[in-house]
Amino acid sequence: MDQRVVDFISALRARGVRISLAESIDAMRCVEVAGIADKSFFRSALRASLVKEPRDLPTFDEMFPRYFGVEMPPPLQQPGGGMSPEDREKLAQMLEQMLASMTPEQLRRLFEAMMTGQGMSNSQMRQFLNEHTSAMQMTTGFQPWATRRAMRELQFDRLEQLLQELLDRLREAGVSEEALQQMAEAARENREALAQQIGQEVGNGLLQHDAEERRRRPAEDLQDRAFDELAHQDVDDMRTVINRLAAQLRTRIALRQKRASKGILDAKSTIRANLRYAGVPLDVRHRRKHLKPRITVICDVSGSMRAVTGFMLMLVYALQDQISRTRPFVYYRTIADVQADFQQLRPEEAIRVVPERVKGGPWQTSLGACLATFTRDHLDAIDRRTTVIFLGDGDDHLSPPNPRDFELIKRRSHRVVWFNPEPPYRWGREDNHMHIYGPLCDAVHHVSNLRQLVAAVDGLFG
Amino acid sequence: MFNAIGEVRTALSAERYIPSDEIATTVFLAEKLGKPILAEGPAGVGKTELAKVWAAATNRELIRLQCYEGLDETKALYEWEYAKQLLYTQLLRDKLNDLLAGVTTLAEAADRLASEEDVFFSSRFMLPRPLLKAVTSERPVTLLIDEIDRADAEFEAFLLEVLSDFQVSVPELGTIRARHQPMVVLTSNNTRELSEALKRRCLYLHIDYPSADQELQIVNLKVPGLPPKLAQQAVEMVQRLRGMDLKKHPSVSETIDWARALLELNARHLDRAVVENTLNVLLKFEGDLQRARRAMIRDESDRSRRERDESGRPRRERDDEGGRYRGN
Ligand SMILES: Nc1ncnc2c1ncn2[C@@H]1O[C@H](COP(=O)(O)OP(=O)(O)OP(=O)(O)O)[C@@H](O)[C@H]1O
Ligand SMILES: [Mg+2]
Repeated sequence: MDQRVVDFISALRARGVRISLAESIDAMRCVEVAGIADKSFFRSALRASLVKEPRDLPTFDEMFPRYFGVEMPPPLQQPGGGMSPEDREKLAQMLEQMLASMTPEQLRRLFEAMMTGQGMSNSQMRQFLNEHTSAMQMTTGFQPWATRRAMRELQFDRLEQLLQELLDRLREAGVSEEALQQMAEAARENREALAQQIGQEVGNGLLQHDAEERRRRPAEDLQDRAFDELAHQDVDDMRTVINRLAAQLRTRIALRQKRASKGILDAKSTIRANLRYAGVPLDVRHRRKHLKPRITVICDVSGSMRAVTGFMLMLVYALQDQISRTRPFVYYRTIADVQADFQQLRPEEAIRVVPERVKGGPWQTSLGACLATFTRDHLDAIDRRTTVIFLGDGDDHLSPPNPRDFELIKRRSHRVVWFNPEPPYRWGREDNHMHIYGPLCDAVHHVSNLRQLVAAVDGLFG
Repeated sequence: MFNAIGEVRTALSAERYIPSDEIATTVFLAEKLGKPILAEGPAGVGKTELAKVWAAATNRELIRLQCYEGLDETKALYEWEYAKQLLYTQLLRDKLNDLLAGVTTLAEAADRLASEEDVFFSSRFMLPRPLLKAVTSERPVTLLIDEIDRADAEFEAFLLEVLSDFQVSVPELGTIRARHQPMVVLTSNNTRELSEALKRRCLYLHIDYPSADQELQIVNLKVPGLPPKLAQQAVEMVQRLRGMDLKKHPSVSETIDWARALLELNARHLDRAVVENTLNVLLKFEGDLQRARRAMIRDESDRSRRERDESGRPRRERDDEGGRYRGN
């Protein structure tokens, strides 16, 4: 049973269910405690210890019967069970002779299983198919077709011929026709069961490849792909990736803050709190070291920047519980406050409409003018606790650099950081003003893919 | 505590809770392995109730920590009772004066005071909050950490430490270790993703809406006196509503409320007027109500069409039979 549970766990993993080593050990203990006599309890025990995400429950429900249900290949019979001892002796001898000289090896193995009833466990069968067929290397395909191919490679249909040969030999040796018929019938049933098991394992192999593909794609690859390649990504995929990254970030931030020390004495708040105790400082207040940041994010929504801006804003909104205040702006030829959009719409919808809030077209980015508008109309979005993030390539096709307003923003805020997806060698060339703004920032990050973006965002949280 | 899963079922039923196999097994495993249960599922399916009846069935005290945004360690663990500390300072003023007698410098005074501060930061002045209560309890307890998804991730990280060894440290008092390992139920409505570390540590119990059978048992248990036929119809209706595309599906607690309302109204069976008058107990959104009404009207016309057909068919059959008889 243990082996079977192990097989089951690896099948779940192959289908994308994340199961840690600790959890698989728990599963074994749970099975031990719950017992295997009652199928429903047994199933619940595995489910409670292995599946921790509602989205994985259907996978569990689908796979469980394959490993522990009626779909299990029927146990093989022992052909010749009803024969007289002498006949059985003859059968054993003849079979041994035949097997001794039988090639290829895989056919010998199958024939032996068919004639003795010594089958293979599912994992042995998988191994067997791996070694002797190409069906398990197929990454995509149609299960019946892949199964036929595996059968052909195994020369499965020669089993009948071999059975006839054995029957002939036994007949010659004087075994009764009736006993032979019985034996043949059992052997053929075994052959059917083997065929069924092969089909099932080939099918599982295909599923496994499929799942590995799917698993690799969203999380790992997307993170390292350049933003412009992600521009046409499906929103659902995008949301999944962002949520996953946000969850990771959140845990990382929380653990880091947990480990950091308690914070420094907050004299003002301590005095205030202790007025009621006649100024005796009974209630000592510490300044929380990790105040949640206030963030004002100013994003370029010119054509080349839309994808990265979308990711950035989704990430910021996925982390709302870590941020005490968020003020989003977008710019192109003009700049606009888009907070209302994020209040009314879900982030993935909001990022689609915000580019319409500003004017602009190809080669019309006007960063310098937008900075001037910002300091004129929107300075209320910045205070001494605010971190201002610019997300843009630093291009400006219409106005001269505007360090004056940029410095004003910097003076009013806690920190100014710039996230730039363009490679640094382009900064300051032609219409690019990064060489002006960059040195005025507290930090500049090159963010050309999600991994870099996440690392840069992580830096915002103490 | 329990020797078999069947016993869990019996014990919970005795507390008027109908557990599915899944629930009974998970509680049994939690008892045997000492692991926390993380119960997730839609609102009103009995997550909180499970913790309560489990505590009652095992004769443990239930300690509840209700989570909310901004909940932090101090509110969950302990607070100092400042008012009491202050009162003692006042009452002990003379003693304090004695203590400080002959002191000439401020620094010396502070040192002397500091040497006595243990008096003020001792368990006498400590106000234990749920987690500390659970850890220090003399008797075994069941700890319910309700709606953990509402707390911040930071608090979750802290909780993880408490749950891993059931000990907490209070800087002024040192480390306190649980005498009895509490049985723990965490509930979540899945409004945000919990950390994998926390999930790994727990047995996971996904509680879904009960099957029709179980729900009927629940109704019979909680609203005795409701005519069996009516109870049956009511549960069928609720189960149908859950199959519909609604903004919010009726929960078990709403089924119970509805059943009570039906009993109150002295209804005999579910006719249109009765349903019309009570449907708002079950559905809370106007859009959902309208959708459900439309579906009911559709049903009714289907049914009457079927009845018309049926009342037509028997006649024909009777005619046929009559014909045969006549022929014989
Ligand atoms: N299996 C059950 N047996 C008996 N009563 C049940 C069962 N399930 C739910 N109930 C009833 O439903 C009511 C609601 O349950 P409870 O408050 O525990 O739901 P919940 O899942 O915690 O919901 P929420 O997510 O809103 O907190 C309980 O008062 C209980 O009476
Ligand atoms: Mg609840």
